[in-house]
Amino acid sequence: MDREAAIVLRHVTKSYRRDQIQIPVLSDLSLSVEEGEFLALMGPSGSGKTTLLNLIAGLDRPTGGEILVQDNDLARMSDGQITKWRSNHVGFIFQTYNLIPVLRAQENVELPLLLTSLSRKERRERARTALRVVGLEGREDHFPRQLSGGQEQRVAIARAIVTDPYLLVADEPTGDLDRVSAEEILLLLEQLNHEFEKTIVMVTHDPQAAKRATRLLHLDKGKLVADVAQGRDVRTAVQPENAS
Amino acid sequence: MKFLGYILRNARRNPVRSLLTIGSIAVCGFLAMVLLSLFSTNTEVRSTLVPFNRVITMSAQGFTQPVPIALVREIPAIDDRSGIHAIVHRESDDKPLVSPFSWYGGKFRGESATFFAQFGVDPDTLFDIYPELTIAPDQLQAFKERPDGTVIGRKLAEDKKLSVGDSFELKGEIYPFDMNLTVVGIFDGPEKRDLRTCYFNWNFLNEGLKRDFQGQGANNSGTVLMRCKSDELVTKLCAAVDEDTKSSDRATKTQTEDAFVSQFSEMIKDLQTYINMVGLAVAFSLLVICGVAMAMSMRERTSEVAVLRAIGFQKGQILFMVLTEAVLIAGIGGFIGTFGTMLLFKFWDISPYTMGFFPFFYIPTTVAVTGFLVSLLVGLLSGLIPAFRASSLPVIDGLRKVV
Amino acid sequence: MAFVPLKYNFRNLSVRWPTTLLTVMVSAIVVACSCVLFGLVDGLMYSQAVSGDPLTLLVMRKGADNETSSNFSIQTAQDLATLKGIAQGRARTAEEAQKGFPDLQDKPLISGELLNIPVMSRSDGSRVNLTIRGATSASPYLRPKFEIVEGRYFNPGTRECIVSRSLVSRFPGTRLGQQFRVSDKEVYNVVGIFTAGSSAAESEVWTGREDLAANTNNDRSVSSTRIRAEDNRSLEALIDSITNESRFGLLPKRESVYYQSQNTTALFLTVIGTVIAVLLTIGALFAAANTMFAAVKSRTREIGTMRALGFSRTAILMSFLLESVVITAVGGALGALVSLLFSNWSFGISDFSSFSERVIQLRFGVLPFAVALGMTLAMGVFGGLFPAIRAVRLDVVKALREL
Repeated sequence: MDREAAIVLRHVTKSYRRDQIQIPVLSDLSLSVEEGEFLALMGPSGSGKTTLLNLIAGLDRPTGGEILVQDNDLARMSDGQITKWRSNHVGFIFQTYNLIPVLRAQENVELPLLLTSLSRKERRERARTALRVVGLEGREDHFPRQLSGGQEQRVAIARAIVTDPYLLVADEPTGDLDRVSAEEILLLLEQLNHEFEKTIVMVTHDPQAAKRATRLLHLDKGKLVADVAQGRDVRTAVQPENAS
Repeated sequence: MKFLGYILRNARRNPVRSLLTIGSIAVCGFLAMVLLSLFSTNTEVRSTLVPFNRVITMSAQGFTQPVPIALVREIPAIDDRSGIHAIVHRESDDKPLVSPFSWYGGKFRGESATFFAQFGVDPDTLFDIYPELTIAPDQLQAFKERPDGTVIGRKLAEDKKLSVGDSFELKGEIYPFDMNLTVVGIFDGPEKRDLRTCYFNWNFLNEGLKRDFQGQGANNSGTVLMRCKSDELVTKLCAAVDEDTKSSDRATKTQTEDAFVSQFSEMIKDLQTYINMVGLAVAFSLLVICGVAMAMSMRERTSEVAVLRAIGFQKGQILFMVLTEAVLIAGIGGFIGTFGTMLLFKFWDISPYTMGFFPFFYIPTTVAVTGFLVSLLVGLLSGLIPAFRASSLPVIDGLRKVV
Repeated sequence: MAFVPLKYNFRNLSVRWPTTLLTVMVSAIVVACSCVLFGLVDGLMYSQAVSGDPLTLLVMRKGADNETSSNFSIQTAQDLATLKGIAQGRARTAEEAQKGFPDLQDKPLISGELLNIPVMSRSDGSRVNLTIRGATSASPYLRPKFEIVEGRYFNPGTRECIVSRSLVSRFPGTRLGQQFRVSDKEVYNVVGIFTAGSSAAESEVWTGREDLAANTNNDRSVSSTRIRAEDNRSLEALIDSITNESRFGLLPKRESVYYQSQNTTALFLTVIGTVIAVLLTIGALFAAANTMFAAVKSRTREIGTMRALGFSRTAILMSFLLESVVITAVGGALGALVSLLFSNWSFGISDFSSFSERVIQLRFGVLPFAVALGMTLAMGVFGGLFPAIRAVRLDVVKALREL
């Protein structure tokens, strides 16, 4: 695998058409993210950070330029292909957790595994493992409404990592949480980045959260205005861990 | 079927809505079953009559006009003379199986309205013509011997709490005299036959006319009933009999029992048309009701669907899940409405409350199965629009609705 | 007390217009379905009501329930004409004279008529019993608003007939100038088309009594006799003298009472109609409840806000109840309007007393609209009640936090 260029964006532009007006969101943005990086995207509202995140995650398509993730050109993939790609390689963490309220914690985590050919037993084991990783052993049978916000977000993280994706995208993962819970979630993300070598792209408003990342990007009006490497060198913390 | 668990959870997500939708379908299904069965019961019962090859001769001027009793003798003669040999003859004594069949239409024991059928017949041949009706041999013997004897159907006996030996008074309406009969036998028969009928000796009726009405209208029978060997012979016999009487002043119309019975449902054909229209309207309304419920459900779940799409569910999988949910809900309602109704009428005999319009009432299996399939189809169609909308909503739009 | 302004509800309705529209549609369909059937019941009851003249006596054989099953000798019928107190016929109008109406001036208004009810094929091939009436010169004057709308009145003894306008096109050979064929021996030339103010006569074919008697070999009897009394007192006297003459064996009934008693069909249709209306209402009510539950759910925060602003529970309850009633009322009104499209429909329904075809013009009087109103209110109130109660019982603080 090419460690040097896990995600490459070349001259990406993105604009939305609202009524008759083209609204530019990203203009000529180039970026390269290495495998194992923990990237924080910051910037004022409307700066295009969520759009950038969606593009990297394959939820949205660029108006121009190309996006290569693990040498896959996302812009050229069909909807079906890109959906399949997402299910194998991307884990999602949302601000509002977005758990399915009618499913128990374990079932929520199992959900992405329904798309694989794993047996029922294997699915259950994997879901339990993922829940153990996020520290929610014993909460398997709880429904989302029976959990605290922090716990819900952990279930969401377990759901994101259960398919062992190599990329995690998080859109304001601590936006709805109190300080203590937020710290716990950030710690968890850090751990996933460290120990499990997950490449993480996180949008955040919170400078405290951004500090946890290994690299900090600032966006303003659709342009990269700052790109700061920070903290430890990731590669020194690599552990021989592959499976989850 | 990995998704089934999730689909089931979704169906139960808003129990009130699901129950209301299911209830709506079940209630409408009940209505449709009852209405459609009013006519299909008739059709189904008629088809059971076909194998007996029975034939009925009535006046060409309609069944309010009688035919001469002499026809009971003449028809077998025509049958022989023309060489058709359609009529079955009894093995023991070679008697042709022909009987007068005269509607009496009286009121039972001071009832203001009586709703069971009463016919004057030939006791000697009736049960050979109706082999599907069963009666104890001694009771049959009594029926043949006793002039004022009557045999009644099992359900009639149950309704009126009658047993052998009880008196059975009928007050004349069409006929200007009353009939004081005695129950000499109770017959039984297949479930889908009118077991609320009474048969008595035609002679007793005729004697009454001679005695109390100066013989006016005597020596007539409402219709003549006979049993034939095969349906090809039936056609020939009908033509032969009608041809023979054509030039006389008492022209007849001879037809199969099935055709005779179907006249009665043809009479209320417009009502049938109306009821079929109601059936269509009901199905369409259900389509709308289910569709609305499903659309409301899906709208509340927009963000969830977007999450599913984000984590890798394909459009087709979403489509499948939504449609399955819709079919499931409609199917549950349909199942209750159709098979539930069928079961209900299996154990609840509503005939006594139908003023004689339905001597027996049940939901034919074909009607129930059709109804159930329609409910599944309604579910499928009603789910189409919400399913397509849910599956084709751009993921980022769906996610944005949450935040 | 402060009520929630209606404007608020309408804004909300317009936001969720697709589901609202569909709910309106469902209530419209169910109301229309029921309205049509009750339009038939209404038409039938109206027809019965106008058929019976308060000063006309219908004389039938004692014990007979209706004209079809009645018959007595023509001699007795002639004896009735000698009774006192019978009204005299009026002079013909110029138009009537021109159309060949019989001249009944200064002759008694008494008509001994003969009925025949042959089985006829409708234009679509289905069979039904049709009433052919052997009329006399007094017959047209004993019917309400009897008019010849095409052609002329028949000449007795010439095998001519006149046909009610409602039957034309329902039966083959009933147009002006065509031959109306009952059987090979019984053929009439159609010389006129008549109406009779929606009365029972509008389901009949009329020919001369002597023509019908000759064709059916029944020249010794009549089915019934109609007598118009001069006034109420002579009516009473006529009833007394006919009843007390045991030699006659006749029973006079006021025509109005007779037609009231011929209500089996109306009763049957009312029962079916009620079953249909009630079940459809329940089905649609569930749908309305679904819509309203969704409305309450999607407006939880607004409800919380309004409660916080000081609107009372009653105000919230009324607001939602009103919204629900408005939705179903629009549907109900629409359904009633749609049913009016059917007002030109005539409906053939077998009369269960005489087993003969009655052609009924649908009528949208008070009854169908009362049914529509009742259904609408039931759907609106019961469909809205539980959702409204849920809205009222919301916890203000929680509701405000709801998304």
